[in-house]
Amino acid sequence: MTNKRGPTTAKAISKNTGKPPFWGRVATSPTYQGLCALIFTSPRRQFLILAGLPLLYLLTQHLGPMLQMLRVSLMDAYPVAPGHEGYVTLENFGRFFNEPVFWKPFFRTLIFAAAITVVTLIITYPVAYYLARHVKRDHQMVLLLLVLIPFWTGEIVRTYAIMILLGNNGAINLALKFLGFIDRPIPFMYTGFSVSVGLIYLTALYMLLPLYSALEKLSKNVTEAAADLGAGPWTRFWRVTLPMSLEGIGSGSVLVFLISTGYYGTPVLLGGPNSTVFAETIAGFFHNAGDEWPTGAAFAMIMFVAALAVAGGLNRLFNALRKGDT
Amino acid sequence: MNRNTRTALSCVFWAFVVYLFVPLILMIVMGFKDSKFIGFPIRSWTLDWYLGVFDDAEVLQTFVYSILIAVVSTLISVLIGTWLAVLLNAQKFLGRAIIYGLMILPALVPGIISAIAFRIYARLLGIEPGMGAIIWAHAIHNVPFVTLVVMARLSTLPQSMMDAARDLGADPLMTFMRITLPYLTPALIGGSIFCLLLSFDDFVRSFFLGGYDPTLPVLIFAMLRSGMSPEINAISTVALILTAALGIWAERSSRRLKRENK
Repeated sequence: MTNKRGPTTAKAISKNTGKPPFWGRVATSPTYQGLCALIFTSPRRQFLILAGLPLLYLLTQHLGPMLQMLRVSLMDAYPVAPGHEGYVTLENFGRFFNEPVFWKPFFRTLIFAAAITVVTLIITYPVAYYLARHVKRDHQMVLLLLVLIPFWTGEIVRTYAIMILLGNNGAINLALKFLGFIDRPIPFMYTGFSVSVGLIYLTALYMLLPLYSALEKLSKNVTEAAADLGAGPWTRFWRVTLPMSLEGIGSGSVLVFLISTGYYGTPVLLGGPNSTVFAETIAGFFHNAGDEWPTGAAFAMIMFVAALAVAGGLNRLFNALRKGDT
Repeated sequence: MNRNTRTALSCVFWAFVVYLFVPLILMIVMGFKDSKFIGFPIRSWTLDWYLGVFDDAEVLQTFVYSILIAVVSTLISVLIGTWLAVLLNAQKFLGRAIIYGLMILPALVPGIISAIAFRIYARLLGIEPGMGAIIWAHAIHNVPFVTLVVMARLSTLPQSMMDAARDLGADPLMTFMRITLPYLTPALIGGSIFCLLLSFDDFVRSFFLGGYDPTLPVLIFAMLRSGMSPEINAISTVALILTAALGIWAERSSRRLKRENK
């Protein structure tokens, strides 16, 4: 309701005529006064309604799903069959460690995510640097918009675009054949390589934007001061620019790492049997009627905790680096 | 900075732009291929695949279904997200950090885990997979993005405007509707567009919470599993144009609004 009110209010104010005051009528209407009486009679009630409702929402809808997932992951069976005495068990977590078919995709996912984080950092750093430091301010927004456009498109559409690029009859193979480098197409698709290319294509923005905003904040005076003190271009970059953009590198890395562990559609479409990621393993437990949900929930918890732990570690690492340098 | 570095950097930048656009352009071009077989070279061209998108009742229905889900979930997200932003902006109160953490949680949980958690919770709440479940999951997932955008804008609201309204006898609710909301308009529009795009593009939540009717990404995914065809290119291209047009329009209008409000 509130969002619909926005434009109307703006209009009512901008006109600013003396005509029948819309807001006056609202303020005297019984509904409005009733609403005010309901909310503002006592500070306690005001707090309960204005803060209580959102808090209730946060607890039940934001925290609730995660807690319920944790609960299901500790159950022996879900849903509990009638007459069955359910018990709490760690068996679902135990399954993970026993079978390589489970923990291999898990470590592959972490390695993929780490590699993708490093590669996106290497690719987007010069891009962000150029945008923030070498482009006039008016042009920055236009170029940034240009870079943003592909990222408004969904995961599946962009994954499909990568499939066309990398396929056996895809653009790259065609170009390589045309240039005479190869006779037979290189099988890029359905490998770890194609999955990585796809994920980098999807996540580059989450690295680019934090880097750009960190580099953009960095004042030219600082690098000029370094130059005056006799620092060459490389020294200026390594000793001044890079340390001062660590904040952007840190938040970009955390974002890319967290997000890239969560993709499901892309690895299914671009990957093959030797590049299964953990998202596919988890999803496998939910395709069936539901008898394997506890294991799936346990695996999702493992993934969540591991991803958060690595992301938190990265965050602390970059914070420490920042403090050490400045 | 010397000239060579500058040239090198600008080359890297434009190479990056090419890398972003080439796959999408190839996808669009391939939709004009007069053959069922995806791959280069293209020898003869046709418009049939693109025209076919607008003839196919099922595809059109999927577009409508996805747009409907995006619009309804966005309305819910904006309402709740704004409410949370006002609460978090209010004062420094005990437990604010915890509330902030809870607020941002759905945006931090990796996609597959979020989808699974929603699927399990939907069962607990008795929400059947289908449109309602997708709207519910999208709405919750998008709330943090609205809250962050609105909080950023709220922090720049001059306190003097609020004080003036109070001096003129406005109660807090009236102040909110006549001062705060109009001031927030650019953020509300920006946040809504972002939610619309997130919902329209979302695959993983729609996939796990959907019933028999697919949303657009789920339909494309299902079609891709049974093989590539120029038909998919045409559908994807229409989706691409929709999202790009919405994004560009939003970017322009939000910048105009910000200029006017300053």
